[in-house]
Amino acid sequence: MSTHHSEDAFKQVIPPVAKKETASRGSKATGKTKVRKEKPRQQVALGISPLSKIGGYAGAIIAALVIALPLYFVVITSLKNHADIYADPIKWVPSVWVPQNFSYVWNTLNFDQYLMNSIIITSILVVIKVSLGVLSAYAFAFIKFPGVNALFFLVIGTLMVPNEITIISNYALVSQLGWRDTFTGIIVPLAGVAFGTFLMRNHFRSLPAEIMEAATMDGAGFFKTLFKVVLPMSWPTLMAFILITSVNEWNQYLWPFLISDTGRVAPLQIGLTLLQNNEGLTNWGPVMAGTILATLPMILVFLLLQRSMIKGLTAGAVKG
Amino acid sequence: MTAPTIPGLENSTPTHEPPQRKYKRGTKATLLGLALVLPNLILLLVFTYRPLIDNIRLSFYNWNIASTRPATFVGLDNYIEWAQNPVSWQIVLQTAIFTVAAVAGSMVLGLALALLLDRPLKGRNAVRSLVFAPYVISGAAVGVAFQFVFDPGYGLIQDLLGRVGLDSPQFYTNPNWALFMITTTYIWKNLGYTFVIYLAALQGLRKDLDEAAEIDRTPRLRKFFKVTLPQLRPTTFFLSITVLLNSLQVFDIINVMTRGGPLETSTTTLVYQVYQETFVNSRAGYGAAIATIMFLAVLIITVVQVRMQERDK
Amino acid sequence: MNISRRHMLGISGLGLSAALLSACAGTGTSTSSSGGQEASGPLQFWSNHPGSSRDVEQKLIDQWNADNPDDQVQLIDAGANYEELAQKFNAALSGGQLPDIVVASDVTWFNFAFTEATTPLDDIWESEGIDTSTYVDTLLGDYVYDGKHYGVPYSRSTCLMYLNTDLLAKAGLPTDRGPETWQEFAEWAPKLLEANGGKAALSIPDGSNYLDWYFQGMMWTFGGHYSKEWDPTFTDEKTVEAAKFLQDQVKAGHIVISKDAENEFGIGNTAATLASTGSLGGMTESASVPFITAFMPGPAPGCPTGGAGLSIPAGISDERKAKAAKFIDWFTNTENTIEFTQATGYMPVRQDAAEHPDEAAFLNENPNARTAIEQLSENTASQDYARVFVNGGGKRIGGALDRIVAGQDVTEVLSSLQEETQKVIDRDIKPHL
Repeated sequence: MSTHHSEDAFKQVIPPVAKKETASRGSKATGKTKVRKEKPRQQVALGISPLSKIGGYAGAIIAALVIALPLYFVVITSLKNHADIYADPIKWVPSVWVPQNFSYVWNTLNFDQYLMNSIIITSILVVIKVSLGVLSAYAFAFIKFPGVNALFFLVIGTLMVPNEITIISNYALVSQLGWRDTFTGIIVPLAGVAFGTFLMRNHFRSLPAEIMEAATMDGAGFFKTLFKVVLPMSWPTLMAFILITSVNEWNQYLWPFLISDTGRVAPLQIGLTLLQNNEGLTNWGPVMAGTILATLPMILVFLLLQRSMIKGLTAGAVKG
Repeated sequence: MTAPTIPGLENSTPTHEPPQRKYKRGTKATLLGLALVLPNLILLLVFTYRPLIDNIRLSFYNWNIASTRPATFVGLDNYIEWAQNPVSWQIVLQTAIFTVAAVAGSMVLGLALALLLDRPLKGRNAVRSLVFAPYVISGAAVGVAFQFVFDPGYGLIQDLLGRVGLDSPQFYTNPNWALFMITTTYIWKNLGYTFVIYLAALQGLRKDLDEAAEIDRTPRLRKFFKVTLPQLRPTTFFLSITVLLNSLQVFDIINVMTRGGPLETSTTTLVYQVYQETFVNSRAGYGAAIATIMFLAVLIITVVQVRMQERDK
Repeated sequence: MNISRRHMLGISGLGLSAALLSACAGTGTSTSSSGGQEASGPLQFWSNHPGSSRDVEQKLIDQWNADNPDDQVQLIDAGANYEELAQKFNAALSGGQLPDIVVASDVTWFNFAFTEATTPLDDIWESEGIDTSTYVDTLLGDYVYDGKHYGVPYSRSTCLMYLNTDLLAKAGLPTDRGPETWQEFAEWAPKLLEANGGKAALSIPDGSNYLDWYFQGMMWTFGGHYSKEWDPTFTDEKTVEAAKFLQDQVKAGHIVISKDAENEFGIGNTAATLASTGSLGGMTESASVPFITAFMPGPAPGCPTGGAGLSIPAGISDERKAKAAKFIDWFTNTENTIEFTQATGYMPVRQDAAEHPDEAAFLNENPNARTAIEQLSENTASQDYARVFVNGGGKRIGGALDRIVAGQDVTEVLSSLQEETQKVIDRDIKPHL
């Protein structure tokens, strides 16, 4: 298809903007009716008339509030004592600030040991999974070989197998291999990647075919094509892949719990459960403090990656 | 201007054939393809498919998981028992309601937020982090935190409703409200995922099409449905599958918030039932049968989804 | 780590395609339980640290290790709660390395004993000369199946009634005791309601949070039972009467069933609550209202015991079993049970603990803790089989009680509960008795 064609189509389909219509469409559409001067390329696409901007801010604020309120309670609970946590009416601000909840978590838990274990497990898994995911996706997207579709479906099929099915059987295998209470035992069974293969393959297939053709005609080999052509056009998706994988592996619980015996290899999520009283009242202040401490590294990862995600726009955008 | 493939837009141009994707072929290509795929495939075969086959075999046995006695072969008994128990169908219905709501809710809201925060607003990085934050928190911690939101005795909602003179619903003891609570909590947590994937996809959108619509003064809503959404189609397809599969496997939130109750099973989903039967009731064979049923159901749904997507093309 | 011959076989047996096609590293049905640790390694103590007891457990173990350099014990974090612990133990049973000592809760120990996953202890006690006569009889007796002991009491609790003394005084009721019977409670309730602005007098956890455990005691005072041995008795007149009483009290607004009954009480929303002795420490620290603890209403017995014990897996060597039994005996001796219970709020498991000067001093300072110990000998009984020995029993009964509380027909709900429980017993228990 040609974009020119679609412009024509739109001209026919879309009637001139009538006043009545704009009124009923609210602020966003009203913003449209303002005569717009020529804008720099990027801003045109993003649309920043004042009214629409106000609408945008209003939406952002509402969304932020709904999402933030529970988050606020997580944060504020981590700074409350037990009595304030259960106060009726609820306390928006603690009557006594208890930052000691954080030092309590840090000191009683061997927090640094668990943190280190989490970082080791997560970073190794991310490296393995992202490599395997990109390589598999490349093959599934660009190479035609016998059984390629069947193999792809075999990979995707693993997304449909719940954890609960696999743990008993894998536990027996890992035990036989002597991998219990080791990083190997935690990491290897989790290292296969279906989600990322699916995501990257989907993205690779949406890349313009001509570019791959051009690469082939240039006689570029696999590595050159991957690193010089394909990946530079894939940063945003790749960053999303890394991000989601980091978070998932960071929050692994059931499998590391079964395989680890002590704090030697157990990740943070398991360490945190030691803060809860499993019979009787739990003081949630330190638990929430621990949750926040365990979440911060991933927020950091998000901030780092989302920047590159957006940078990918300028670096790799396909322009005609 | 080149004419690249944009999935979903081909329909409107019957006069032009979409360009055929050029694949690499040949023995060399086959070897390369297998070399790229095999390491991953072997891991998945050993650690996912081997247990799956094991599981299917177990589903034909009566086996107390703690028992040292040999398991007895019972044929299809586990499946028949499951199908004949009315509670099973109630759980299937709950799973369906939860899943559909979770998929629709988190995808629509995730897309809306991604569109919103793709615009050049001040402080959008902070808001982006905020939207993503819940996804980072572990499910168990989210379950714990939301008792301070939902508890009818001391939660946030009862406090806010109390200000306008309303009583809080009984989120934990009323079956419908309990399912509502679990679902909203999951959507809240999962928004970050759909948001990030959509946000990444928006970065790859074609600016020229956007501009064209912009110059034509296409109303924003129409532009969204005619230009943006079709370009996002592969992403939407991808999300519809992964969110569906993820939400079918939700365990932590349910375990922490309601333990599958009230009334014993009102917020029990299939995965939670598998866990209950296998590890709490020690009936590993019966649990395996439910897991197998669930796997087959998901397989069928996914195949249908993929077929529908292909037919649309 | 040494790689034993068995491990080597395991690895070479993992020829890739062979492993994935034949699914040979199978579970349960194809392999028998694969035994314990290397003979020389330290004893593995799998605990979920009941009552946040990790520190005190570790402290006691360090003490043991210092005194017994040849019989070291290692504490393993084996779960955040009893369910997870059972899950990890189940995984080990179906093909891993077994622990030497494992915490087993009131609802899990029996299944482990019944399936011969854990070992009877009586012969080991005899050959090792271990004296069990000083354990509290009812607590030790809880672990008897087929005439043999499969566990030793460890972190044991009962339930208590917690009462807000301010509201008792305001209602003109005695502030030094709880209601002696549930009928007396029904008389007190309207006054407590009035004293607290119409809010319910008593909060009890819902069916997902062990209503079935608390209601058990209430039901006993009516003469009802969940079961008599292996015969479910949900439809007995007395059981039905107790369930109707619960339903009526909820309808009248005297009792509220909620997820977080303890905290409802702690912030003054209700005048009384039923909670485990394990909550005493937390409640003392957090409640914003003055309170006393009282026996569960009678006539005795009006209160079930609960909590967990220690068991030894059957699949480990006799030598390790003997060592484990000796360690358990030491771990729960008078001094150690006192130290453990004072750190957690559980009850001492040895009879002579109460006379020990440390404990006497502690109880004088903590009269609320004394209530639990006194109640143990006067007002408790072992739980009904239908709740603790039948797989899924507690949850099944809890669900039925949720229905009753929600106003469904009592007789109908209990009949179907009776039928379902009978079915499970016939299927899972009867064939193996």
